Amino acid sequence: MPAITHEDNMTQDPTRRAPLVLGEPDLASVTETVCRIAERPGATPAWYVAFVVSVALTLILFGSIGYLIIHGIGVLGNNSPVFWGFPIINFVFWIGIGHAGTLISAILFLFRQKWRTSINRFAEAMTIFAVACAGIFPAVHVGRIWVIYWLAPYPNQMALWPNFRSPLLWDVVAVSTYATVSLLFWYLGMIPDLATLRDRATTKPRSILYGLFALGWRGSASQWHRFETAYLLLAALATPLVLSVHSVVSFDFAVAQLPGWHTTIFPPYFVAGAIFSGCAMVVTLAVPARAIFGLKSLITMRHLDNMNKLILGTSMLVAYAYMVEWFMAWYGGNPKEIFAFVNRALGPYAWGYWLMVLCNVVVPQLFWFKKWRTTPWLMLIVAILVNVGMWMERFVIIVASLSRDFLPSSWGMFKPTSIDILMMIGSFGLFFTLFLLFCRFLPVVAMAEVKAVLPTRDPR
Amino acid sequence: MSSIVFQNDSPNWWRSLDELAGSPRFRAFLEAEFPDAADPPGMNRRRWLQLMGASLALAGISGCRWERQEIAPFANRPLDRIPGTRQHFATAMPTGSTAHGIVVTTVDGRPIKIEGNPRHPQSLGATNVFAQAAVLELYDPDRSCHVYRRSGDKQSEGTWEQFTHFCQSHFGRLCELAGDGLCVLSQGNTSPTLDRIRHDLRTNFPSACWFEYEAISDDNEREGARIAFGKPLRAQLALDKAQVILCLDADLLGSHPASVRHARDFSMGREANAGQMNRLYAVESRYSLTGAAADHRLPLPSCQIPAFVGELEQTLAMMADSDHSVPTHQDQPPSQIEPFVRTVVRDLLANGGRSIVAIGSNQSPAAIAAVHRINARLGNEGKTVIYTQTMDPDRPAHLDAIKGLVEKIRHGNVNTLLILGGNPVYNAPADLAFAEAIAGIATTIHLSSYRNETSRQCSWHLPQAHFLETWGDARAWDGTYSILQPAIAPLYGGRSEIEVLAMILAASSREQVPDARMEDLVRRTFQQMAGDDPVVWDKTLRDGLLIDSAWKAESVPVPGGPVLEHVRPYQVPENGSLEITFWSDLSVGDGRFANSSWLQELPDPMTKITWDNAALVNPETACRLGIENETKITIQAGGREMTIPAYILPGQAPGSIGVALGYGRTAAGHVGGDTSLGIPPVGVDAYLLRTTDAMTILNGAHVKATGIPYRLATTQDHHAIDAVGQTGRDKKVAALIREANLDYYREHPDFAQHVEHHPPLKSLWEEHFFDGHRWGMSIDLSKCIGCGACIIACQAENNIPVVGKEQVLQGREMQWLRVDRYFRGPLGAPQVAHQPIPCQQCELAPCEQVCPVAATIHSQEGLNDMVYNRCVGTRYCANNCPYKVRRFNYLNYHKDLGKDGGEVSKMKYNPDVTIRCRGVMEKCTYCVQRIQTVKIEAKKRRLVIRDGEIQTACQQVCPSQAIHFGNIADQESTVSKKYSLDRAYALLSELNIRPRTVYLARISNPNPDLEKMPTKHASDHT
Repeated sequence: MPAITHEDNMTQDPTRRAPLVLGEPDLASVTETVCRIAERPGATPAWYVAFVVSVALTLILFGSIGYLIIHGIGVLGNNSPVFWGFPIINFVFWIGIGHAGTLISAILFLFRQKWRTSINRFAEAMTIFAVACAGIFPAVHVGRIWVIYWLAPYPNQMALWPNFRSPLLWDVVAVSTYATVSLLFWYLGMIPDLATLRDRATTKPRSILYGLFALGWRGSASQWHRFETAYLLLAALATPLVLSVHSVVSFDFAVAQLPGWHTTIFPPYFVAGAIFSGCAMVVTLAVPARAIFGLKSLITMRHLDNMNKLILGTSMLVAYAYMVEWFMAWYGGNPKEIFAFVNRALGPYAWGYWLMVLCNVVVPQLFWFKKWRTTPWLMLIVAILVNVGMWMERFVIIVASLSRDFLPSSWGMFKPTSIDILMMIGSFGLFFTLFLLFCRFLPVVAMAEVKAVLPTRDPR
Repeated sequence: MSSIVFQNDSPNWWRSLDELAGSPRFRAFLEAEFPDAADPPGMNRRRWLQLMGASLALAGISGCRWERQEIAPFANRPLDRIPGTRQHFATAMPTGSTAHGIVVTTVDGRPIKIEGNPRHPQSLGATNVFAQAAVLELYDPDRSCHVYRRSGDKQSEGTWEQFTHFCQSHFGRLCELAGDGLCVLSQGNTSPTLDRIRHDLRTNFPSACWFEYEAISDDNEREGARIAFGKPLRAQLALDKAQVILCLDADLLGSHPASVRHARDFSMGREANAGQMNRLYAVESRYSLTGAAADHRLPLPSCQIPAFVGELEQTLAMMADSDHSVPTHQDQPPSQIEPFVRTVVRDLLANGGRSIVAIGSNQSPAAIAAVHRINARLGNEGKTVIYTQTMDPDRPAHLDAIKGLVEKIRHGNVNTLLILGGNPVYNAPADLAFAEAIAGIATTIHLSSYRNETSRQCSWHLPQAHFLETWGDARAWDGTYSILQPAIAPLYGGRSEIEVLAMILAASSREQVPDARMEDLVRRTFQQMAGDDPVVWDKTLRDGLLIDSAWKAESVPVPGGPVLEHVRPYQVPENGSLEITFWSDLSVGDGRFANSSWLQELPDPMTKITWDNAALVNPETACRLGIENETKITIQAGGREMTIPAYILPGQAPGSIGVALGYGRTAAGHVGGDTSLGIPPVGVDAYLLRTTDAMTILNGAHVKATGIPYRLATTQDHHAIDAVGQTGRDKKVAALIREANLDYYREHPDFAQHVEHHPPLKSLWEEHFFDGHRWGMSIDLSKCIGCGACIIACQAENNIPVVGKEQVLQGREMQWLRVDRYFRGPLGAPQVAHQPIPCQQCELAPCEQVCPVAATIHSQEGLNDMVYNRCVGTRYCANNCPYKVRRFNYLNYHKDLGKDGGEVSKMKYNPDVTIRCRGVMEKCTYCVQRIQTVKIEAKKRRLVIRDGEIQTACQQVCPSQAIHFGNIADQESTVSKKYSLDRAYALLSELNIRPRTVYLARISNPNPDLEKMPTKHASDHT
């Protein structure tokens, strides 16, 4: 394989379409590159180190949750008036992370953006793991987790039905739908690749396990035909979810009457923010993953460049939303809302607000420079800062708004406890544990799809 | 069947019937219940059905996980006792120099709630916080339940029999010596029976000495009256008849013994809609409740009040003589206070005979005498200021008594000291070193309901019965006589003061007197007072007071006494000559209520501090001394030193530092602190600075800022917030507390409706339809004085847990009703407004809409109901509540019930109200259990509920009648009338949530002459 320069992959010459994969790969080499990762008998030391750390953090997460359930919500920093704290911040944060996956896999698929093929698999995986992390938090933050099933509309002896006016219930429906569709979409797309792994399996257990999940895939034309139809349908089904899930999550706030929450801009603002943070997370994961697993020819600089452009674009959308919030607070003339925003920017949580503005608005502007878009370690810095900024955005929305609402007598400050912080860090542990396992045992790149976009397959 | 109890370990016999059939317990049961089937020959269909039936019935009992409990029925049911229904007993709560007429509610023999006695002139149905918390004290597991006797250095548990035995030999011997060396130290009390026994005791022990000591005493008042009139008299103030009231360091509405009655009388003069309003001036050092209610308040160090009184008397004399013209002092620069004095005097003179000048008992007797003269000159005597006799006029001053006792001890003239109640080791003047003094006495006996600091120093400790457990009698502030009747038998085997004295008397008379029945002892006193008629006795018991037993007004001579020192310029005391003022804390009194967690967690009305006392410092003084808010300061005075956290309180007089007494208890109990158990004291003991020459005001204090931070647990943000918050708060408060002065209100009667304008509101949802009752509440901000009685009444009624200082610091207090306090105006002399905030019971409640499981829903009568056992605990409702009145059980706040003493603690709970578990939201229900009780009763009797028949706990206790509750669908109800007042407004009505609680705008009645004057204030710094 000849030496790769990132120039090969970028559109330097407008008359020439940039290749989607680098080098001169044939079908076998793609299969070999991807399958090798899952078939290697022992993982790399880097993987082991990362895995041990992640598992340790995951144990901390579940340990903290156990402690929380034994003692009660009082072990967190929540109080009156800040009745929601870190768990809900983490929930919104993780749900947001998930969005880039669906965006890349479904929306870009429908728009025939073929460059997506190399990164959609692990972006989708990221979605599912992020949703798994997100789903934990609202569940464990309720006062009586042992009756949380009451949120589900099921026929019961109490003849009670949940209150469908509550955005929390919309949330339950939206997030569970999202999780289900994402999982199906991810799994469906993986079936041909699982079959490849099955066929290449050298041991009986691998052959049985991959075979089980490959659902008897034989790669016949009729199977491909049905597969592609189903994939298209699921993509069509998943596309509105990208917009709907975070819109519904934003209703939790927008429907409440708290100044700082009660704004109609929240749904688009939240969706833009979600894609923003999701793309940043894709970059955060892709940069080390392509280095560790030798995927540079498949996950190319062009992909990263495109993701960074998306980050820059959504950053400006988010910045626009921030400005509109201010404008509406002023234009609406509601003194309570004006106060909520002034307090956000100048009050006791001003540090959070300005950290958010710095990370979400200022830092991504570096992506105007090609050097920042195409240098892995530089873009990693920006992506991580964007993730910090997006976490802070939720902190500012939730904590700063709640801490000072209508009656000044009930104002109060929020201070997280160690459990709050451990649970937040632990959720990253869970996320990375799942992601590392995915990288180790499943096809991280959609081989079948990549093969379809190889230059050799192009009849022209 | 309910009498059969199965233990947890009974077999899981619904799975194996045969096994069960063979068990002896079941066999015994069968024999008793089904004699025919006792010895079955085999299994037939009938037999099988029997077994199945029995096993199914029993499955519920044996299968459950509750622990074994025995229930015994009454062999003889007490008169009028119906299980589960409430009984009410009238009695009185004695506290030091007064007694509060109360009605005790008991359920199944347990007192669970205390209300004021509507017939009692000092209560009129209301109470203070202490009476509300008495139930908690009754069931306090820390109350002493054993006799303790000292042998060697250690105290060990003893029995009453041992004491009786000791008593007979010891006091028999003493009697032979005519009581030589015997001293009795009693706490302040007003019991005529005790008085009678005391006289009997004097016969048996002629050489014995009797001393009475109270840390918070009316000594100065008695001495002041003696100077003015030649004998100690008590001034009874008729605030309802006064147009102009001037309070000089007199907290008539707060710490005064008659505050409950005062609050009622005062509020009668705050009927803004009736047009007539009284005017209250307050001149004081610490911001008291009276100061907060005042139309004008002048912060002045307590040590300068006599000078102020002098100036007042002088100005009054001059202005009265020269027909209201204005005198000026040519010889000295005009005092800044002079215009204030002149305006007040003009107002007083214009209302001669309809005014009151009141002075606090912390002031010197000479100043108090001067105030008597001022009242006489104003013609108030006999009209608004009525002089009556006082309790025990011949007794020496409390301070002299304790000094005399210690002196006697030091001379070695005391060998037996009997201490009846009180806690002199803790609260005697520090320079007397009381603990050291009594260490040398051979026999010291302390009767006390707690094994407190004093008990631990004595050779005998006797547990005292609670006032709800014994017979007794007491006189109220105005002399009204009440009989104390027991509502429950002594829980811990305590005995009353009267009982112990009777024991000693019996011992000394060397007769084998059978234990005198307490009731007879009280009855004998009663007979001397009111005759032998059993009908009168029964009526007195039922009414809770003896009709017409209040002291009669006395005609008094023209008051005399030396004229006070000439007016001198008022100067702010410098460091080194700062003054420290002591007062009885509004939560824990003089320290006697320190082990009450309800009271410890009751926020101070002004500072909102819970679980601590603090040195209150004026902002300017703090700035000058370099004191930061919530840091520790060291106060040095007279060679004594105290380190205490500072709290910067706007409106505190400059140069004056206020410290509440009653904290820093080292042997109070698990709540108030017990150093022997490793439980640190709550707050700082200010008695350590209090010496015989500075009992109320300490001059010449030096303060040093240490800068060591100390977090005070306040329930409301104090003033030290950032500029953004401050501006935002000030903007918001104007719409929350709508206020105006009387003149403006007369011109703009609907001003309260024009504070907040908004476009027409439309609901997103289908609105509720209300048919039948519609419950509503009104709270009159003109009347609310912020005393906090409603908070404790609500806590007692609704089984609200206490969370402790750490949780309050985290902002997790549970009190359903809070009283918000807002300052307005300059930092040096701000005004204060109080606003009680219960759940507003919105008709379009934002909390209901967001609850995912419909745990909070609307009742047809307009209540926002909270279904505890449906609550999952998402807390979304609380986020969406604009008033933040919802309280969340972040932790299990009822854990202690499982510990030792939990069984007793449980008895205080109101059986009509659920105890909420961890993870559940709760909030004010408008006392829905009270509504239901009345509704059910009305339905049973086919009656219509009358207006006022349902009272919420907060409404019932409110001394100033600021709260009204009722049916707003009934146009004739009081609350409907309040609703229709032009002053009525709903908080945050612009949110279209339609709260059912309305507030009546606060109308004040400032003096127009003073309004024009630029308000003198210390500085503008923040």
